[in-house]
Amino acid sequence: MKKKALLLTLTFPVVCILIAICAGRYAISPLEMVQILLIKIGLGGGMVPPSPEAQSVFWQIRLPRIVLAFTVGSALAVSGAVFQALFRNPLASPDLLGVTAGASFGAVLALMFFPPLSLAVKFSSFLFGVAAVFCVHVLAVKSRDRSTAVLILGGIIVSAVFQAGVSILKYLTNTYDMLAQIVFWLMGSFQTATWDSVWSVFLVTMIGTALIAAFSWRLNIMSQDDEQALSLGVDVVKWRIIYIAITTLMVAISVSACGVVGWIGLVVPHIARSLVGSEHRRLIFTSALLGASLMLLMDTLARSLFSSEIPISIVTSLLGAPFLGYLVLRQRKEWLGK
Amino acid sequence: MSIEVRNLEAGYALKPILRDVSMRIEEGKICALLGRNGSGKTTLLRCLNALITPTQGQVYLRGQDIARLSRVEIARMVSVVPQSTSAPFNYPCLEVVLMGEAARLNLWSAPGEAARQRAKGVFKQIGIEHLLDHDYNGISGGEQQLVLLARALFQDTPYMLLDEPNSHLDFSNQHHMMSLMRQLAKQHGITMLITLHDPNLAVYYCDEIVLMQQGRLVCQGPTLEVLTDFNLCAIYGNNIQTDHTSRGMQVVVPKAIVMGAVEQTLVC
Repeated sequence: MKKKALLLTLTFPVVCILIAICAGRYAISPLEMVQILLIKIGLGGGMVPPSPEAQSVFWQIRLPRIVLAFTVGSALAVSGAVFQALFRNPLASPDLLGVTAGASFGAVLALMFFPPLSLAVKFSSFLFGVAAVFCVHVLAVKSRDRSTAVLILGGIIVSAVFQAGVSILKYLTNTYDMLAQIVFWLMGSFQTATWDSVWSVFLVTMIGTALIAAFSWRLNIMSQDDEQALSLGVDVVKWRIIYIAITTLMVAISVSACGVVGWIGLVVPHIARSLVGSEHRRLIFTSALLGASLMLLMDTLARSLFSSEIPISIVTSLLGAPFLGYLVLRQRKEWLGK
Repeated sequence: MSIEVRNLEAGYALKPILRDVSMRIEEGKICALLGRNGSGKTTLLRCLNALITPTQGQVYLRGQDIARLSRVEIARMVSVVPQSTSAPFNYPCLEVVLMGEAARLNLWSAPGEAARQRAKGVFKQIGIEHLLDHDYNGISGGEQQLVLLARALFQDTPYMLLDEPNSHLDFSNQHHMMSLMRQLAKQHGITMLITLHDPNLAVYYCDEIVLMQQGRLVCQGPTLEVLTDFNLCAIYGNNIQTDHTSRGMQVVVPKAIVMGAVEQTLVC
């Protein structure tokens, strides 16, 4: 059973990558893909090379997009699993502390003055995402309440303020063109992925995921109540800050790169838990690969299902929400809550 | 070498709970903490584990002021058996016990094979090997309590605090738990402090008793010396007294029973 789950988690991403490379409005056959790779490493002599368009689609359009979707998916799923452990709530998601709301506000603010693809939009989005969570942290410190309740409350407050900010900015836009840009950005897309924009996301999420994986065993203890964790020798307040800081950086840079993508962070840890159980060393590993794969699959659907591209958050919600419903009906209540 | 509490005052928000508590528990003793609900038993346990910071006074573990120790240093000296509650996430019992390793590990490490073997040894010692691979949330309250005891034992500390370890257990399991605990304490030389509701359990299994009332320490000493009619009356009110069974064991029983079989036999 456990071997089967491991095999599934390891092969599924490979399958998803292959599908994502080949499917799309410019189809690349598996044979062409192999040829393109062979040419790149200098073994392509003697065969008829695929068209230059295919090569350019492969290297310049599809691959960066795949890398982006893969890393963002794993970052969101890992962050979701971490948040569910920290807040001892299987229904927690990475936007609980306002990072998404903050990042949205930052992006929309920058969109008022800069073109949608500029670095300024990404930077502002990242900055406000991190700032929102920092506000929650300050609120929690000032309240001198060391429980998670005050963090959740702070997340609600900060999210509400930044969401109101987004609404105000939308209201203030004077052209429909700009409003459309804002709305489209908020729905999320991997369309804009280029190597230039991918590397920073890749770097941050990979380092973040590696750190979380290194500290993953402690999440078992963090998911016990505070008094138990403290008496086991884990300084919960300090560790909560460490975990939240790492995941916030990952989620903020993800949102800044591709807009808001819901549901992955909430649903994927549940699927992972049903495969390998709650133990966090296995759960984090499985969530990372599963989140990456599912995100990739959904993005492939988003760009190839219809003639024009569907925003990614629509796909993730439409598939993620009913799937959670299915899990609720199928599984025993245990891993959804008490 | 002892747990020593000096002039402790502690409480929550602006409400003081403990007032001027001083006591000393010698190494290797099993000490029961008795008192009515709200008398400050649990608050005292929290202070001994530095879960709350006292407003006044100090706690010394082996001569070291607990306020100056880090969480890891405290966890190497004091383990806690909490009341069993089901957790939001379901772990195999072995993983629950392995959590006791945290204070001995690097920040980035997880328990290895050696720790696993030691944990299995603890399961065996307590007689719950059959629970190793069971899910914690799926076992009974009594079994959960034993798993939590196993975790505290695996933490391998000189002091152990137990917060009403019997509250979810049936009559037979209460005695199983207490005798197991006493046996383990004597075998490993662990000093234990246990909050209890039933004074009889203290009589059977504990060396010493600390009596608490309204946040103050009323009396501390060897079990039979402390549990006198006078002290019981002070703590629990006028309807409790000591008596002896036909085999000569001291027990604590109610004075007058208004209803039920006992009254009938008295009348007959």
